[in-house]
Amino acid sequence: MDPMSTILIIDDDPRFRTQARDVLEADGFVVIGQAVNGASGLEAALSLRPDFVLLDIGLPDVEGFKVARALAINRPPPQVVLTSTRDARAYGRRLVNDDSLGFIPKEQISGAAIRALVDRG
Amino acid sequence: MVSTLSTPRTTTTVIWARALLLAAAGGLGLGMLAGNAQHGPLTLGTVLEVLVGWSFVACGIFLWARRPANRLGPLMTTVGMLWLLGRTMTLVPSPVIYTAGLWLTDLWAAAFALFLLSFPTGRLTSGADRAIVGIFLFVTVPLEFLWLLFLAPESGQNALGLAADPNAAHVIDRIQRVLISIGAVLLVISLGWRWLRSSGPVRRQMAPVLVGAVAILLQSASWIVLSSGTSLEVLDDLIFVAQIAIPISVLSVVLQSRMARAGVADLVVELGRTPTPARLRDALANALGDPTLQVAYWEPGQDRFVDAAGQVMELPEDGTGQAVTMLERNGVREAVIIHDAILLEEPGLMAAVASAMRLAVENERLTAAVEAQLQEVRASRARIVEAGDLERRRVERDLHDGAQQRLVSLSLELQVARRALGEGGDPAVRSSLERAAEEALAALSELRDLALGIHPLILTEGGLGEAVESLADRTSVDVSVDIGAERYSPAVEGAAYFVISEALANVTKYAQATKIVVRVRGLDDHVSIEVDDDGIGGADPRAGSGLRGLADRLAVLDGTITIVSPIGGGTRISAQIPTIHPTPDPVSAL
Repeated sequence: MDPMSTILIIDDDPRFRTQARDVLEADGFVVIGQAVNGASGLEAALSLRPDFVLLDIGLPDVEGFKVARALAINRPPPQVVLTSTRDARAYGRRLVNDDSLGFIPKEQISGAAIRALVDRG
Repeated sequence: MVSTLSTPRTTTTVIWARALLLAAAGGLGLGMLAGNAQHGPLTLGTVLEVLVGWSFVACGIFLWARRPANRLGPLMTTVGMLWLLGRTMTLVPSPVIYTAGLWLTDLWAAAFALFLLSFPTGRLTSGADRAIVGIFLFVTVPLEFLWLLFLAPESGQNALGLAADPNAAHVIDRIQRVLISIGAVLLVISLGWRWLRSSGPVRRQMAPVLVGAVAILLQSASWIVLSSGTSLEVLDDLIFVAQIAIPISVLSVVLQSRMARAGVADLVVELGRTPTPARLRDALANALGDPTLQVAYWEPGQDRFVDAAGQVMELPEDGTGQAVTMLERNGVREAVIIHDAILLEEPGLMAAVASAMRLAVENERLTAAVEAQLQEVRASRARIVEAGDLERRRVERDLHDGAQQRLVSLSLELQVARRALGEGGDPAVRSSLERAAEEALAALSELRDLALGIHPLILTEGGLGEAVESLADRTSVDVSVDIGAERYSPAVEGAAYFVISEALANVTKYAQATKIVVRVRGLDDHVSIEVDDDGIGGADPRAGSGLRGLADRLAVLDGTITIVSPIGGGTRISAQIPTIHPTPDPVSAL
């Protein structure tokens, strides 16, 4: 994988966006954009064409699963990583789908965790 | 007229008096036969005459014994006694007794008129009837006295004939006959008018007195048409036969109304089914044999009576042939039965009917009250459960938005700090940071467990199927799930989820099972849930508060849960939850 992968963070919590950016940039990602909800996130993804999207499931305007589905029709589609303050048990089998690479709870976000998903997928 | 439901007690004196009267009537009748036999062979007319008296006395005493409250019994006895006494006395060879006998024989007509007009209560109810009886009394007391004064003593028999004047006697006799005839016509008119205004059963009951009235009219008419001293023997015999039949018919009317008591048993059965007001009225009308019967209910606030449809009803006045029986509870009026006045002659029957109806009204009141309370309890129980569910969701969301986010943020911050420290730095600081990060993750994990237990987000977001599959995924025992993707109301999904979750938890903890099968079927009007395991069985539904709590929760939705757990034979928990049920009152937003 390209060591300088680009990533777009879509989350309404500014504190998390900052922390995720710090962690991911420390792990070699280039954070090329941040969005606060699903609609602006989709726009940003179209214009910025990131390699990855870190996508919160609990967005204020539209559920993350639906944003992931919309992102999947982009050409080329970004690699979507779902995240949430809740853990996987809150979503069950909904996390297993073709629209995303996988799920990482927010506190475990790191470049290594994302790469592990890529290697697994 | 409002009935007082009491039965007078019969004293020993009254019983003796009745026996004596019966014996006297027998003696007088035999005396009359003997007296007539002295003058030649007995005629049919004489035998019938005796039978008329006996009929009245016997039937009168029987009625008196059966209906002590009714004056008709004593009155009939009196009519019969006057008849026998007067006729027997005229046979006695003593001027005084003969004259008294002559008087009593005529006085009989007044008593007979009183008997006819006072049917069926033994009391006169109108001024017109009193006037008619007055005419008969005027003819048979003062005019009779005058007539006897002027009547020439026949063979020295008239003890009163002090101013013998055959012409005056004849004039008075004509006046008497005309007045009696007028009285008889009025009698027939009065009874005929009552008959026309009465309901069916009362009409049938009045038949004998109408016959009696016609008989007295015919007799008085024959007195006018025929000159004194002569009489039409056949007509007399016919009238005697009618007069014998009258007391018997009156008695049969009484017996008929006694049979109405059997109707009370049917009434009680009918009232036991808490009938509609219309059926209640019909049942009462049937039991009492009065198709004109009405039921009116008291409106305490409005101080008036209304029928079942809420129409205002006026209670009947006295003398209209209708009477009212009041139904009271603890001294408070509740309803009235408006019925034919003749039913007042059946105080026992009316008391039985009134009691039966009081029970029905009371029963209806209690049933309605219990039903209303039950509805209220069910609604409030449903509201409590629903409010609890809403509260759980709110707490879960608060945990997510608050403490969980802060712990996530703390964990990330500690990661950032650890990276900033890099491989260098103080090892003590680094291990301290490691421990702090572990603590934060442990706290976050515990908090998530708590939140999941309070309210599984997946249930509301993904539905029962996804929630149960998620539940199965994190159960340590192998679970196979057979469930569709149908959605149900939040209450049903919540109850179903907690049934399965509690069942899986119990199996994991106690059953030592290796395999669990969960089946959820959405049927027409309910969801059927089965959780089977191959464990040791012997689960006691009463032992754990968890299962009892489930039963309570299901009861809110009219659902049921059964547990079959033979020792050594695994456990099956099955639950049925109706999916169609009345929605409880909307809960105010929390």
